[in-house]
Amino acid sequence: MAVDEVPIPKLDYTPQTIPEPEPTPEQARTRRNYLNHTTSVLSWLLTVDHKRIGLMYLVAVTVFFLFGGIAAGLVRVNLVSPHGAILELDQYNKAFTAHGTIMLFLFLIPVIPGVLGNFFVPMMIGAKDMAFPKLNLASFYVWAIGASFFLWQLIVGGLDPGWTLYPPYSTKYSHTNVLYAGLGIFITGFSSILTGLNIIATVHKMRCPGMSWGRMPLFIWAMYATSVIQLLATPVLAVTVTMAAVEKVFGVGIFDPTIGGDPILFQHMFWFYSHPAVYIMILPGMGVINEVLTCFSRKNIFGYQAVAWSSVGIALVGFLVWGHHMFLAGQGYYLGMVFAFLTMLVAVPSAIKVFNWTATLYGGSISFPAPMIHAIGFIVLFTIGGLTGLYLGTMGTDIHLHDTYFVIAHFHFTMVGGMMFAWQAGLHFWWPKMTGKMYSDFWSRLAAIVMITGFALTFLPQFVAGFQGMPRRYPNYPPEFQVYNILSTAGATIQGFGYLMPVFYLTASLFFGRAAGNNPWKATGLEWQVPSPPDAHNFKDIPEVYFGPYEYGVPDGLRLVADGHLGKKAVHANGAHTGAGVTNGS
Amino acid sequence: MFAAIDLPTVLPPQASEFARQYDLLFYYITAVCVFGGGVVYALLTYCCFRFAKKEGVAPQRILGSTKLELIWTIVPLIFFLTFFVWGARLFDVAINPPQEAKDNEFFVFGKQWMWKVQHPTGERENNAMHIPVNRAMKVTGTSEDVIHDFGIPAFRSKFDVVPGRYTSAWYYPTKEGTYHLFCDQYCGQGHSQMVGKVHVLSQSDYADFLAGTYRRQNPDGSFPHPVDGSASWRGRKLFFKLNCISCHNKESSARAPSLEGIAGQERAVRDDAGKTINIKASDEYIALSIRVPTKHVRDGWKPIMPAFSTRQVGEQELRDLILYIKSLKPGDLPSRNEYTPAPVGGSVDADSLSQQQNPNPIPMPPQPKKEGGTK
Repeated sequence: MAVDEVPIPKLDYTPQTIPEPEPTPEQARTRRNYLNHTTSVLSWLLTVDHKRIGLMYLVAVTVFFLFGGIAAGLVRVNLVSPHGAILELDQYNKAFTAHGTIMLFLFLIPVIPGVLGNFFVPMMIGAKDMAFPKLNLASFYVWAIGASFFLWQLIVGGLDPGWTLYPPYSTKYSHTNVLYAGLGIFITGFSSILTGLNIIATVHKMRCPGMSWGRMPLFIWAMYATSVIQLLATPVLAVTVTMAAVEKVFGVGIFDPTIGGDPILFQHMFWFYSHPAVYIMILPGMGVINEVLTCFSRKNIFGYQAVAWSSVGIALVGFLVWGHHMFLAGQGYYLGMVFAFLTMLVAVPSAIKVFNWTATLYGGSISFPAPMIHAIGFIVLFTIGGLTGLYLGTMGTDIHLHDTYFVIAHFHFTMVGGMMFAWQAGLHFWWPKMTGKMYSDFWSRLAAIVMITGFALTFLPQFVAGFQGMPRRYPNYPPEFQVYNILSTAGATIQGFGYLMPVFYLTASLFFGRAAGNNPWKATGLEWQVPSPPDAHNFKDIPEVYFGPYEYGVPDGLRLVADGHLGKKAVHANGAHTGAGVTNGS
Repeated sequence: MFAAIDLPTVLPPQASEFARQYDLLFYYITAVCVFGGGVVYALLTYCCFRFAKKEGVAPQRILGSTKLELIWTIVPLIFFLTFFVWGARLFDVAINPPQEAKDNEFFVFGKQWMWKVQHPTGERENNAMHIPVNRAMKVTGTSEDVIHDFGIPAFRSKFDVVPGRYTSAWYYPTKEGTYHLFCDQYCGQGHSQMVGKVHVLSQSDYADFLAGTYRRQNPDGSFPHPVDGSASWRGRKLFFKLNCISCHNKESSARAPSLEGIAGQERAVRDDAGKTINIKASDEYIALSIRVPTKHVRDGWKPIMPAFSTRQVGEQELRDLILYIKSLKPGDLPSRNEYTPAPVGGSVDADSLSQQQNPNPIPMPPQPKKEGGTK
């Protein structure tokens, strides 16, 4: 971009790079973007464009979320009655297993990395695509193949050992399709590894000039930390599944105690993956929250370094706490103590993030469109999720709460209250950029409030039921717990309506929505400085970055000035800051 | 007016010494969390209202504060570490039974889908555990098939029951009553059927229970069987084996008098001289009625009962029979065709959840699949 082509805009925030001009209505009509520059079906199926792959993930994970949601609905309706309202015992077991496996392996793990990660990681770091575009496509298809094993397994009769797949039940006693599910996990795991690898390479090698580590948006930090976990932890899951298969096929005693194996070994290996996996699920969500909170409070993130490094801290320490799932499984006392101690350490970075987010709002100029309501909802609900985790990470209190509804409520507060709301925040935040269309403000805000209300009503009573001792995975339960289950099911119904609403108003926005413009939220990130929807190759020229990611809080705007070669320096209108002084929040 | 409304109790019953210690820590963590969460919520609410977008008010440019970062790193960490230390100590209490508990060791066997409990003195029961109050006890468990978990919410106690391992917990029950026993580790189709009751009895009731004579009526009017392995349980088996049941049963009133509730009662009998006298149904009376039935015949009945000599019923067996007969309460006599073994996975003690409230039949456990590698 040459300086004389770009009129220097007067903005009340400082973008990381020079914005492209808003297209005229004439240009907007004729413009070719990534959605319509080619239109054949094959051009979608064989695309190596990270944005199109992101949209393909979006469609796929939405379908799986629907499946997982239906399974959850069956579970909740069944629990209205202490004797089971609609399902037989084994049907209930298949329903909650379908809910758990689909939601975890096919929704929570791929959703933000697959959709928002794919779409926005290259754009946010000023790259034209991922480091390995073809690998990216391969990763989607590997995931699709793995997912189809799950679908197949559902069609031919379901799966019942729960998503944790503990042997010897899963390997020896379950008469359902554990083999298909195992293959599904094995294969989707590879997709997860490949995506992680791709993102790590992209972040390392594809950053545009000026995009130092300290100027990366925090979403990128979070995605980077997530990818490291995916790369290091997922192979262990594949090894575990392989070991279970070897035991089954060759009769080698690995997990089965009757032939010399140890079922606890499986739990160690499973949680070595699955505990980091919950951070695979939540870290990208935390990354999204940083982008949304800063944009709608018009503030720099409070403590950039602290938030960035807390992601890395969670990723590293998160590897060393898997044993807190097994305090009662017969592991040694001192081993348990080590895990409990490290669990208390890993709780700290999450606390740091919550405090930093709250402090970010201080002194802001806060508006509350749908993404912001979701983000505030995230903080409120995730705080409860995080604090109740302390009860479970403390060895003494875990004894009574282990495997009760308290765990269910805690997990859903972090994964739904946290991750699901972060996903909604991210989806609503970036939807105008992805589609070029703006959705209904009223309906989107209403949906956010309905979701939060329904969610709280669903899971708060489960804490009480759990403390009273109601065990998880019970289709029939003592009648004194019925009141909590009825409240829960009522909340789940409200939530269900909440999740259906975006399907309608987001779809409607594609056809009837007004054009969003380049930067409807007046956000600073690189992705907002190009037209919506973006061009096939994101940027006309590789942008150059002059500022840290969240320079909203500048009283009367920073003006980029051409000083010899464009934008190497920026000065504050009143001369208070130079470009170098506002690079980032350190 | 509010007294009539039966609100669900929010707090679970606290029936053991450990439960008391547990709740202290639980409430401590709750207090800290409510405070910490409250601080976050208060700040969040304050910021959302105070700094809502207003015309002409520009946002401030604040990058962070190392001092604040340190405060909200170190202060939570200190509290978290207090949780850790206290929690580790509590866990230590939970897994290290005192010597008295070790001397009073119960054993539980988990299998799809029932709990078998064996008392230190050898008595056995299914899906129920009768234990004495104010006496430390240890429970060791193992599983016959998959991983189960032996959990008693009222004691705040729980431990995984793992095939191929012996794991244990210990309790010091402090409050008499009946509490839930749950399987907390998912174990297959009948997981939610793998439940029972823990009955904390007074010391004397527990002694009666071990003898098989403690028979508390179930809510449905039936009585639990005498505990397996007790004298009374052996007596019950003899009662069927010797065909006492074909005349002394619930249905028939034509051939023999009911034996329910006779212990210690005055009964009108005709002696061998044909004179009607009142006699107290003591142990000796019952013994004599078995050995020489014609000696005293209950008024209004024919002397048709056969005699049972010491060759047929030894003195020890006779004692078992007497204990069983003495334990019979009104409505307790089995019906003639009742002698069927408990269904697999079923509850012998009808007091458990599965029989009381659950109309769904307990499924038969599937056979384990073929071992890997064998064709």
